[in-house]
Amino acid sequence: MAEIVIMPKQGLQMAEGTIMEWLVNEGEEVTEGSPLFEMETDKLTITIDAGSNGTLLKILRGPGDVVPITEPIAIIGEKGEDYSALLNSMGAPPVAENVESENETADEVTVESIKAEAVKVPRTGKVFASPRAKMLAEEKGIDYADVDGSGPEGLIIEKDVLEYAANPIQKTAATPLARKVAELENIDINNIQGSGARNKVLAEDVRASLSAGQTPVQTDVTQLDEELIPIKGMRKIVAERMKTSLSEMAQANHRITVDMTNSVSLREQFKAMGTKVSYNDIVLRCAAKALTEFPMMNSSWTEKGIILKKYVNIGMAVAIDQGLIVPVIKNIHLKSLDAIAKESSELASKAKENRLQPEDYTRGTFTVSNLGMFDIDGFTAIINPPEAGILAVGKLAKKPVVINDEIVIRMMMQLSLTYDHRTVDGAPAAQFLKRIKELLENPMLLI
Amino acid sequence: MSKKTYATAIRDVIAEEMRRDENVFVMGEDIEILGGIFGCTRDLYKEFGVDRIRNTPISEAAMIGAGVGSACAGMRPIVELMYMDFTLVAADQIINQAAKTRYIFGGKAKIPLVIRGQQGIGRGNAATHSQSLETIFMHFPGIKVACPSNAADAAGLLRTAIRDDNPVMFFEHKALYASKFEVPDDPDFCVPFGKADIKRAGKDVTIVGSLLYVSRALEAAAELEKIGIDAEVIDPRTLVPFDTQTIIESVKKTGKLVVVHEAHKVAGWGAEVVSQVVEGAFKYLDAAPIHLGAKACPLPFNIELENAVVPSVEQIVEAAKKVCNKK
Repeated sequence: MAEIVIMPKQGLQMAEGTIMEWLVNEGEEVTEGSPLFEMETDKLTITIDAGSNGTLLKILRGPGDVVPITEPIAIIGEKGEDYSALLNSMGAPPVAENVESENETADEVTVESIKAEAVKVPRTGKVFASPRAKMLAEEKGIDYADVDGSGPEGLIIEKDVLEYAANPIQKTAATPLARKVAELENIDINNIQGSGARNKVLAEDVRASLSAGQTPVQTDVTQLDEELIPIKGMRKIVAERMKTSLSEMAQANHRITVDMTNSVSLREQFKAMGTKVSYNDIVLRCAAKALTEFPMMNSSWTEKGIILKKYVNIGMAVAIDQGLIVPVIKNIHLKSLDAIAKESSELASKAKENRLQPEDYTRGTFTVSNLGMFDIDGFTAIINPPEAGILAVGKLAKKPVVINDEIVIRMMMQLSLTYDHRTVDGAPAAQFLKRIKELLENPMLLI
Repeated sequence: MSKKTYATAIRDVIAEEMRRDENVFVMGEDIEILGGIFGCTRDLYKEFGVDRIRNTPISEAAMIGAGVGSACAGMRPIVELMYMDFTLVAADQIINQAAKTRYIFGGKAKIPLVIRGQQGIGRGNAATHSQSLETIFMHFPGIKVACPSNAADAAGLLRTAIRDDNPVMFFEHKALYASKFEVPDDPDFCVPFGKADIKRAGKDVTIVGSLLYVSRALEAAAELEKIGIDAEVIDPRTLVPFDTQTIIESVKKTGKLVVVHEAHKVAGWGAEVVSQVVEGAFKYLDAAPIHLGAKACPLPFNIELENAVVPSVEQIVEAAKKVCNKK
């Protein structure tokens, strides 16, 4: 019985996916659990395995097609099986040639039966590793998701992690099919420039380098004692987002110095009660309150208009080994300081351990970035699109300040607000930043 | 050291313990002149007389019941069953009396009783004379369970069993009686209960087996060596008490586990081993453990079919290759 393969939903936020490459050709056999195609979402590139055994009868959507989730992308069935009824019943697909002559059979197929067929989702792209492989990867500081699994159903086993650790050059991202082709043709895949998402090497890249009649020569950089790092993964995502941010927004910046003495004592009070609250948590809480009072700072500029958000989700930038990630505290305007403290510490450790789920770092409405721990006085941050602002927090330090015409020592901290001038003008942005200062200097106002 | 058969090793330990302690005596069917059907009491009546090498009627319940009673009264009885399959006739005596009397009497009654006999495949003895029942007796607290896989372990474990103040189920294997092994001559040679023995050291996969399946696991290990898999073979020797630690340490090293026994696979003791290892060494596992046991089928009379029901050396090799991800 032929069945439809649909665009699988990978993560709560996913609405559509882009087909990158079919790893099996039409007419070839597929086995359950073996790689079927590669797709890309706005967050990641993954290989999707076949959900059943059979022959790949028809590919409905080719590489480069952007397909909404649950829409048909292929048909798997028995070799030679007539799938025209199935094809017709799902509406006119873009590549169906034989539809005309088989319209009659199509009418007999009910909508319900198609739905039942379409429910069979391919296995998700989750990476499985043996407990021992996970333990070893952790010991060696390797993200096991980068390791190719050679165990049953692609399970990553101890041997794979050991080999990966011994030969990290394998890090070149390539599709399983590309690796296979390269292996058969005896080409070093690491020398091939990938054209897939995040420079992933596709089978066609390997074939192209073959038809060029040569294995690509080593680039000259090695002779100059330089190293070429391919732009991929998190580096590429960060680069693209930052560039888009600066090229599309009208970013402007305000700075203000805050007397943190009262916030310091607030933190001490919490500490005395046994609750750990960081200065950053207090900044998050104050920013959340100010955002409810200045809704334009909590908005998004779109072509259709400015979206004002009635909820506040603040992202907190966390530096990790691979780069930077911004986990988000949802509905932070409804949360107490100790709840924020608990959540921020959980998110930070999840980020460092690479355990964040897509839901953890999406749907932010504003971002707070703190480099105080690196002894930075103050800095200008780049807005995380589509948000309208980002607050950069500098270090907390004792400074001489003039109060009532006397020089006294106070705990001071610099805040820097980058805002999208398309949405927010200089004066309201200044008032917003001033309001955060007021709250930090008088944390009693938070109550 | 003397090279002895498994049956002779057992006979010699019984004789030595009877000389050492006048309270030790044997009851069983045809153990006097015949010396038991496998010769484990051959000629002992000549030295010790028919009071201490006592023939009994064919009633396992009566034999074991008398064993519990005489043990309570201060004797150290050894009850020989022709086939361990017939422990089931005496299940109440074993499970409700022998196992629980010491507990029920608040520790005041000792039950130094050994119930021994043979079980298993090898002679085409059919469905009610070829079973492996050791798992059943592991389930009830109060009885120890010993399963020797060679003559030396048979001697050392049997001596420990006879000197133990608690009831011991002593499972011998009919296919091992003729096998020979070096046995220490020391009249106090004891193998401690609850101490597994590493029969072959290796680094790639841990294979746990007992009784006949120790030699089969060793055969499998020799096959595996040819394809570059270095197997460690562990014999728990006693199933109660069970030496989980030695197995866990081995799995920590190898990351892979195969447990094999002749008892039926379903709810067989291998499942308990897998469970203990998963609980105790989960993060060390590199593959899902494999548990092999007899198929869910009574043991056939036909010897070819009998062999088809229990795990083969080939199946052990295949299981080890599978956990080692070797095609």
